[in-house]
Amino acid sequence: MTRARSGEYLTGLWLIVTLELRQRVRGVAWYVLLGIFIVLVGAVTALLWFSTSAWMTGGGGVFSTIVFFVLLLGTLVSPALSGNAVNGERDAGTLATTQVTLISTGQLILGKFLAAWITALAFLAAAVPFLVFAVILGQVSAATIAVSVLVLAVELGVIAAIGVGLSGILIRPLFSIVVTYLIVAALSIGTLISFALLGTATKSEVTTVTRSVDATQFDSQTDEQSDVVCSAPHTNRYDVPRFDYYWWILAANPYVVVADASPGAFDERGNAQDLFGWIAIGVRGAQTPPELHQEIDYCTMATTDPGRDGMMSFGDNPTPREIYDRALPSWFVGLGIHLVLGAGALFWAWRRTDTPARTLPTGSRIA
Amino acid sequence: MTTSGTSSIEVSGVSRSFGQVHAVRDATLSVAPGSVTALIGPNGSGKTTLMLMLASLLAPDSGAISIAGHDPVTEPTAVRSAIGWMPDALGSWPTLSVRAALSVTGRMYGLTRSDAAARANELILLTGLDDLADQPSRVLSRGQKQRLSLARALVHNPSVLLLDEPASGLDPAARIALRELVRRLAAEGTAVLVSSHVLAELDEMADAAVYLAAGVTASREQVARASASARAWRIRSLDPAALAASLSASGILPQHITVDSLGTLVRVHNEAAAAELLAKLVAAGVPVTTFGPAVGDLEHTFLDLNRESNLHEDADTTQEQA
Repeated sequence: MTRARSGEYLTGLWLIVTLELRQRVRGVAWYVLLGIFIVLVGAVTALLWFSTSAWMTGGGGVFSTIVFFVLLLGTLVSPALSGNAVNGERDAGTLATTQVTLISTGQLILGKFLAAWITALAFLAAAVPFLVFAVILGQVSAATIAVSVLVLAVELGVIAAIGVGLSGILIRPLFSIVVTYLIVAALSIGTLISFALLGTATKSEVTTVTRSVDATQFDSQTDEQSDVVCSAPHTNRYDVPRFDYYWWILAANPYVVVADASPGAFDERGNAQDLFGWIAIGVRGAQTPPELHQEIDYCTMATTDPGRDGMMSFGDNPTPREIYDRALPSWFVGLGIHLVLGAGALFWAWRRTDTPARTLPTGSRIA
Repeated sequence: MTTSGTSSIEVSGVSRSFGQVHAVRDATLSVAPGSVTALIGPNGSGKTTLMLMLASLLAPDSGAISIAGHDPVTEPTAVRSAIGWMPDALGSWPTLSVRAALSVTGRMYGLTRSDAAARANELILLTGLDDLADQPSRVLSRGQKQRLSLARALVHNPSVLLLDEPASGLDPAARIALRELVRRLAAEGTAVLVSSHVLAELDEMADAAVYLAAGVTASREQVARASASARAWRIRSLDPAALAASLSASGILPQHITVDSLGTLVRVHNEAAAAELLAKLVAAGVPVTTFGPAVGDLEHTFLDLNRESNLHEDADTTQEQA
């Protein structure tokens, strides 16, 4: 019984998906767009290959850049294809004729979302040959490829969900498309700007107490110091930006999510091997709060460890790999924020579009 | 479909407002299975809003609606499988062919792929769209889109049909075909509610009428009074002079006679008075070629009700025409 019912539900859902793909997407213009996309990705791949001497160093850089390029074009095309899915149909007078049938509002909204997602995935599929090329160049692990393509696909789905959701929430198609673009821009660029501005605007004072060596006797034969005369403690105060409060804003950047999600590849010194790795280290490094009270006692170091000159040995800076491993995986947070945004937009659209309608947004007609 | 109770459509005391605008204030009507009811009212009187509430797209603020025994607000699925709705706005999926649009609609009602295709073929023949069946619907003319819209409303053999302005944009032949189709569906037991501005059209199609003015349906008494009020009859004669002489001889006051290029208009109180007048004219040897109401029954009632609602603020005059 429930199985038959869920079968019916899926049949109706798929009907909406195919209808949407047939009438909104399939057309000469769309194939032209896809062709231009393939040419662009091809050109970018070729240029990267020449400019980075990838045939010598491996395809890590080429791969990361192509993935970002697909994300860029996907975020540019997807809002235009999904941002009028519901209100455009209302304007065309075909929404109400669907709503009087046995198709539920859930099937309608979900079907439109899936169609928009599938459309965006076509762009990812078209870029796959170039990704394979980058893989053939070597140095990209299978896990990196699988994870970044998967996360890229989810990110394209989030944008499709926001576009379809806004088209159900806002009345005018042009307005909902523009707002979808603005949200994409806010996530891609706005997060960077607000992270930088908020981080630098919030400052904390750091106090450093330094004791240095005023005079010392250096025996060049034993290589040891003696008669170390220490200076009085010298206190120094300065402000540092607090990026650690706002790292989650940066985590909500789709590029950061894609970069951070791919499993980090490090060399023996703990340095990242591709673009994704460096971005991930930067973002995760922002999670570490600055040390607000530092005591640097060169003098004691000189006495206890007289064989050293007391300048190089203080502190032990973590390697990039250690920063990466120590921090919270920020892609998890970012993707979580995105999924909540996308699901929220779809849910709100469902509430707004459900019939029999009790409240109508001002200035809208049901049919 | 299941029909509990005697009426397929039962509406009582329904109202719906949009912000400050009270689109429907108090609508009450019922449509029996197998009957065609006209929904008549001036522009902005709330016809389309009422239709949307019946079509389960809009929830009423107050009042009760029952379609084929189900409440559209609480049981929209049951209502939707019972109704066929033809909207006043002409929307069609532009890139889909007529055939594809109909079979997609059929599948939205849960028909299988092959059943939907077969039903689409039937409806294409029924609405005379066979030449255009494989054309994308964006190339259709207004009247052809109207026919596609009607076909779409009939896909699932609904027991209740809601037609909002079905005749607009149709050529005379298509109008006649529409009228015959609606009468035939009614004869098969479908309850039809049809709204139109072309009242003469409805006169020949409907066997009952509901008048809606400023969101309020006219009561039975109002309708009876309005339809019984004095009305103009058009008389044409081969001998206009003899007609004029005979009219004044029959005791018709000069202010009740108007002569225009199409003939003579005479105000008489009711049908009995009209019959009496015709008998007198024939007896007097006037060669009468045309003798009939100048406007149709629905139009007369409609105009009279509107006049009445306009005069409502005045003291309660009994609409006496001297």
